[in-house]
Amino acid sequence: MKRLFSLLCMAVLPLTMIGCSGGADGGSGAAPAGASSASSDAVATPSADEGAAPASDTGSGSAETVKIGVLHSLSGTMAISETSLRDVVLMAVDEINAAGGVLGQPIEPVVVDPASDWDLFAEKAKDLIKTEEVAVTFGCWTSVSRKSVLPVYEENNALLFYPVQYEGEEQSLNVFYTGASPNQQLIPAAEYLMSEEGGACKKFYLLGTDYVFPRTANKVLKAFLLANGVPEENIMEEYTPFHHQDYQTIVGKVKEFASSGDACILSTINGDSNVPFYKEFANQGLTSTDCPIMAFSVAEDELRAMDVPPLVGHLAAWNYFQSIDTPENQKFVADFKAYCAEEGLPGGSERVTDDPIEAAYFGVYVWKAAVEKAGSFDVDQVRQAVYGLKFDAPGGPKEMHADNQHTLKPVYIGEILADGQFSIINQTEGLVSPDSYSSYLHPDGDFPAPTGGP
Amino acid sequence: MRAGFREFALACWVLVFLLWFEAVGQTAAPPEEAAIRARILKLADAQSDVRMAAISSLATSKDGRVAETLEAYRLGSLQLWQERAVMSETVADSPDLLQLRDALTGELIMQDGLAVRAAKADLRSLVASRKERRDVVNAIRVLQLYSLDQFERLSAVKKLGDLRNTEYLDELEELLTSEQDSQIQYRAQESIALIRLMDGAVSVEDRRAVVTELGEMGSARATAPIKALLAAEATPLDEQTRAVCQTALDSINSYQRRVRILGYIFSGLSLGSVLILMALGLSIIFGQMGVINMAHGELMMIGAYATYEIQEAFGHSMPDHPANAFFLVALPVSFLAASFVGLVMERLIVRRLYGRPLETLLATWGVGLILIQAVRICYGDNIGVSSPTWLVGGSEVIPDFQVPYNRLFIIGLTAGCVVFVYWLMNHTKRGLLVRATVQNREMASALGVNTRYEDGFTFAFGAGLAGVAGCALTLIGGVTPDMGQNYIVDSFLVVVTGGVGEIVGVVCAGLGLGVFTKTLEPVFSTIWGKVLILSFVVIFIQYRPAGLFPPKGRLADV
Repeated sequence: MKRLFSLLCMAVLPLTMIGCSGGADGGSGAAPAGASSASSDAVATPSADEGAAPASDTGSGSAETVKIGVLHSLSGTMAISETSLRDVVLMAVDEINAAGGVLGQPIEPVVVDPASDWDLFAEKAKDLIKTEEVAVTFGCWTSVSRKSVLPVYEENNALLFYPVQYEGEEQSLNVFYTGASPNQQLIPAAEYLMSEEGGACKKFYLLGTDYVFPRTANKVLKAFLLANGVPEENIMEEYTPFHHQDYQTIVGKVKEFASSGDACILSTINGDSNVPFYKEFANQGLTSTDCPIMAFSVAEDELRAMDVPPLVGHLAAWNYFQSIDTPENQKFVADFKAYCAEEGLPGGSERVTDDPIEAAYFGVYVWKAAVEKAGSFDVDQVRQAVYGLKFDAPGGPKEMHADNQHTLKPVYIGEILADGQFSIINQTEGLVSPDSYSSYLHPDGDFPAPTGGP
Repeated sequence: MRAGFREFALACWVLVFLLWFEAVGQTAAPPEEAAIRARILKLADAQSDVRMAAISSLATSKDGRVAETLEAYRLGSLQLWQERAVMSETVADSPDLLQLRDALTGELIMQDGLAVRAAKADLRSLVASRKERRDVVNAIRVLQLYSLDQFERLSAVKKLGDLRNTEYLDELEELLTSEQDSQIQYRAQESIALIRLMDGAVSVEDRRAVVTELGEMGSARATAPIKALLAAEATPLDEQTRAVCQTALDSINSYQRRVRILGYIFSGLSLGSVLILMALGLSIIFGQMGVINMAHGELMMIGAYATYEIQEAFGHSMPDHPANAFFLVALPVSFLAASFVGLVMERLIVRRLYGRPLETLLATWGVGLILIQAVRICYGDNIGVSSPTWLVGGSEVIPDFQVPYNRLFIIGLTAGCVVFVYWLMNHTKRGLLVRATVQNREMASALGVNTRYEDGFTFAFGAGLAGVAGCALTLIGGVTPDMGQNYIVDSFLVVVTGGVGEIVGVVCAGLGLGVFTKTLEPVFSTIWGKVLILSFVVIFIQYRPAGLFPPKGRLADV
């Protein structure tokens, strides 16, 4: 019995370590399943190979095709989110090829599966650049995976399009960020809540999962709120571990905090912790009128898999919603559903589009337009051509910043509806210019120089 | 505590009665329905000021249903269809068509016995402009006072109090006289007092009376305004009012402190019962068979997915007709599903590895990974299980202390499981045979006990308990392929702390860890609370290596 016992203790130890190490495995905003849980990372699903199949039959006859890399996790914990991005990139490639390719050359996607394993991201990236000699890569979701491939792209002067909103404080000449920087999501959301229409909130509860994106995001938010005259005691900041399930205490605290009726929550809670949080919130008798929750990590693709009723009436801030009512967007949504149904992808025509999906999609078109403008696939020439590029994305016209690698985007505030879609209740006028380094964290305006480049 | 439960039961009855009463009592159509419809139609007017006028006249219509109409207007689902205002909703099977509901009654618009579906092109969307939105939101709040839904009334009553606008006093007082629900009455009274507190026109005596009233109510919402009153420099208070304010604050604080302590105890109990439910099966398998089942969390996940399958089979996830009975069916089904998987595991793998703890540990860990990935392939991402409607929400036992029904249900379920396991192990022949096998396998075998069968039974039963835990967890958390990983650490902690194979140990350790966690969390943050709990368990194991209830006598050396 005693031997058994020591074994049991041995078994518990690594498990607790896994539980605690979540904080180190940071990721960017909307990672639904978080980024820890090392156990399942290494197990590859069969679907990983399907996408890679076209890559293997490239013989010498393919000299005319141009290869592009697709670097998204198709197995492991991040597969939930990243698979959709691979799907939409492949859809864009199909469309471009059907329309005659880029500079008259068909493009050939090389899909690899880094399996939610951050080291594998760097290895696969090296593979794509060195062995496959891809002209450009579309990929990554979590910040830690981007940080892991960054040295590879800078060393080889290759090009990466990164489609997810993130915490900022980075600028590499080898990356184009088509997702939001903090001032394109966080600040307008806080401004909305402070406005009379948004409920004239005076107290802010900053609640997040414990890793790099929420911590940096809350730093930016706090600096913004303090600069706008919100007293320190009206701002609460709290973090929970990855996969946290028991929100009784926190909701109790929120209830007390919100008893004055002018409080709101700015939530960077990640992935599977959202469900218990919203359920507990509703069950303890709080509603979106008592205390609205503004989420920065909940989009349509995540709502598809959640029990939606407890979330109805709460808010989210993004640069794109599936419900944007323009013919271009309706066509994009219909095309994506049709593509998923035709290819027999899980979910089929039930699939939805959301902010990162749109950003991944228009990223491919931005690259195409830049190549055509430069008349070459050369990285340095393409980079110069991207700066200041204006283009029509499914959600409306956008443009690339003239010198800071990011994208000018509109910001929308959406209210969650019972069918898992958002009703857009507020939007910025025109496009919001991106700050790669937040002016609230660097008030003197002295930012580090961009890294990488030729 | 007993008084609390009596009140709770009473509240339940009152609630049931009220719902029935309201459904029967208020169905007669108000006479001015046509006038309201005409005003709704004005929302389609091209002129902005006509629309604004329509909104403000709708705000005074005292008809709760108009709140829904304006809500639709705010969210952009109010449409003009054949000169008629309708609310539209998407249809699952055809993306281009919309189903229509009457703008006032919310009933589906039918034609020849079928719900009308209109093409988007035939509808004109009525969108509230930025300027109108604020008025619309305020109008909705006032109109919700007349809603048939008590939660809407409650939320409106609270919000109007927060706005501190004397315009709404009449409506609130009117509501107070007609309202039957004690919770809403309480909040209405509180809101009226709050509005009057901040009203500059109120006399000093009245203000003192209001402050005293709020103090007696223990109103948490009054803390900030009373403090603001004390701190106001422009209008300093006289000594007597100041004293009254201070007493009121003290009495609010002491009431809120008691509520908070009650809250900690309840959340501790509820977390503890979740822990017990998870650890029970683990403890049985470990205690009786000496197998460390690392796939326990995944068996729990199987239970949760079984619940999902039952929900889909019953069509519960459709919002219009929730099939609440699904959950009662799902409980036994999740037990059976998980115990079946457990049985297969035992037959194929665990059986061949008895007496080799390290190998079983690794093998079950591997099985766990296979199960996770298999489920991920079959079901894709995480899925949504909605709770049955009778387990949504909670009851406010005393003001500001709400007991969620789902937590209450889990506490009850855990108690039931513990009693059942105790009875099964100690008062049935089955339990006797299992215990005999545990104590002396050879001897039991010599006496004719089929020990292999008993092993299979124990493993399947333990796995089944994990399945029940998984089913119960759908009430509080999400369902993902790796959900088991979130809980396995905590269940091991409970087993280690409680002592192996002892039901009473599991119960004590579960409740102890639950309450301990919940009292630490508010003081330290969640993350540090977790660190403290883990270090506490480490230190505890140093001094009591065999847990709270170590096996005694001959069993100790097995």
